[in-house]
Amino acid sequence: MPRHITIALVVLIAGLAVALGFFVDVVGRVQSMMKNERETEENPFKPPTQPLYAPTDPAVNVKIFFPAASGDTLLVAEDQMIFKSSELANRAKQILQKVQEGPHDASMVPSLPKETKFQDLFISEQGTAFIDFSSAIATNHPGGVLNEVATIYSIVDSLTYNLPEIREVKILIGGVEKETLAGHCLLLLPLELDLSMTNVMPREEKTASAQ
Amino acid sequence: MKKIFTAVLAAALGAALFIFAADVNFPIYFPDGKLLVKADVMNRTVYLPVREILGQMNVPYTDSVSLETLTIRSGTNRLVVTKNSGLISYNDQIILLPNPILREDNRWLVPVEFLTMGLSRLTGTEFRYRPGTSRVFAGSVEAPELEMNAQTLGPITRLTLRCAVPIKLDVKRDDPLKPILAIDRTPVDPSRERFDHKDRLLRSVAFDDSDGSSKIVLDITRDVGDLRVTAADNNRVYFVDLLRKGDTVTQVPGLADPGTGTAAKAEFSAADRKVRVIVIDPGHGGTDTGAKSSITTEKDLMLTISRRLRTALQMRLGATVLLTRDSDTALDNEARSAVANNNQANLLISLHTGISVDKVASGSSIFIMKEDFGDKSVVASTSRDQLFLPWYLGYRVHRRASAAAANILRDQLTKGIPDWTFSVRTAPLAILSSATMPSVLIEIGNLNNASSTQMLVDAAFQTRLVNTLVDGIQRFSESAQGTAN
Repeated sequence: MPRHITIALVVLIAGLAVALGFFVDVVGRVQSMMKNERETEENPFKPPTQPLYAPTDPAVNVKIFFPAASGDTLLVAEDQMIFKSSELANRAKQILQKVQEGPHDASMVPSLPKETKFQDLFISEQGTAFIDFSSAIATNHPGGVLNEVATIYSIVDSLTYNLPEIREVKILIGGVEKETLAGHCLLLLPLELDLSMTNVMPREEKTASAQ
Repeated sequence: MKKIFTAVLAAALGAALFIFAADVNFPIYFPDGKLLVKADVMNRTVYLPVREILGQMNVPYTDSVSLETLTIRSGTNRLVVTKNSGLISYNDQIILLPNPILREDNRWLVPVEFLTMGLSRLTGTEFRYRPGTSRVFAGSVEAPELEMNAQTLGPITRLTLRCAVPIKLDVKRDDPLKPILAIDRTPVDPSRERFDHKDRLLRSVAFDDSDGSSKIVLDITRDVGDLRVTAADNNRVYFVDLLRKGDTVTQVPGLADPGTGTAAKAEFSAADRKVRVIVIDPGHGGTDTGAKSSITTEKDLMLTISRRLRTALQMRLGATVLLTRDSDTALDNEARSAVANNNQANLLISLHTGISVDKVASGSSIFIMKEDFGDKSVVASTSRDQLFLPWYLGYRVHRRASAAAANILRDQLTKGIPDWTFSVRTAPLAILSSATMPSVLIEIGNLNNASSTQMLVDAAFQTRLVNTLVDGIQRFSESAQGTAN
């Protein structure tokens, strides 16, 4: 074999060996990156669920509004207890849990459709509470304008009546903004306290939060 | 090769010139006559030949070829314009026009803003021009507004024309696909120049007064047979119905033909009626069934009752009645209120049934829009004028009238159907929020209550319900709030 061909072959083999080394290294890195991504997916940045109140938090009375089973008054208030945790969001979440659980009294009916889950809550500095419900709130809704008004104001009034820091409530469904809940009631703008459809008189002055 | 390249370049240049410089006829309406000028549109700017305009207004001017200036005089005032400059001098004050003045082929071409910014000051004649239109009104010329809307109504397509003053409409079908609706009044000020509709019968509608006479040019398809023109409201409103070829539509949906018995049976003459156009919205439709019972669905029940209500309103009040849907189709809330808004309805009634958890409940509700809904967003926009109001705040103008209509309907329904209770309620409802006329949503009965459902599907009960609603609407029409709109 001529000498120059031998040299060329040696150089070629050496080059291939280096290329193979690089390839193995790159594949290894990609695999490790993918593994890292999977780990990130399994452990999202969301902090672990904290308890909504501390054992030392005092209990306070709140009024939770539910649709009346009969009669002309649309929403009737039921007295329930929550714990006065220092975080406003935690107090709001406790109230939403009460709304989700439904009334204890037989003269009232649950306001949220079956399987509706409260998913998330964010309260802005301006006092707007953004609440995200699972899409069951819309898909499982029985229909009817009055029922829809009752569902929405059960949430809005229960929050804004008991927590005056929350001035208005914006309802999201499945994480996104929807035009209406189930075809009738407009959800594009945040809604404020409206006691005209309830059996509760407006407070003269709301100062303390869930006193 | 070089020749081909030159030819291609020349063709491209020609095409570019063709695109960017187009000649259009541009009428200028003066109190003592009109002037038709050839306007050049270059880069979306309308240029007008100023000397023709000055000639019409008898304003003297001096054209200096050497100085490349045009000096216009009126009394002691002087306006000087210079070729290729956007700066004009008025009594030695400098005014900046948005586009420069041109001099081409011995013609002085000024951007249309020159009339409003320069010539108005010199002559004292006010020029009114809306960007996007092809006409200018000068001085005391009165141009009544003309509105054009098109709507597909089942088998027909209806073009609705509304003018602020009585007009006469003459149909010319010289070109079978481009019928012309000649208007006997010139000038008029169309709220929009042209719009596309694109259904089976109508492609587009365009206003044209480039020859100095007002007309509307329709672009229709070959499926159109007859054009039926019906005047209303003392010739202020015209309905132009496009009928399909071979279609034997004698009763146009939603319109009582004044020539036939329908209007003759009407209890009130057109002059007595204040609520002239009523839009009824049968709730839900298509895949959205609404509330359900074992024997009916809300969408079907509401369509049946809405159709009966339409007939009763046409027969008894002689009103123009439109349904937002006349078949089992899905519509979003925006489309529903758009039917009422676009047809300038005087009343919108949305019909729904209730479904209460209480099986014995027989309560019904009449909803009006929640009073303070969207107040914050209005406050944000009041610093500017209220020309642009968000779509969902259309209800604000007629909220009082809506409340009056709801109370009248509640009283009438309580009297007409004494077994049931009716309450007026407020809620932030999507269809009412954007309605720019008195509007109510009625939720009738309870589909969870067997006897209530039986009554709702019963024809005799439906007749009673419909007649009661017509009585209520008639009372509203005669009331102070009904006449106010």
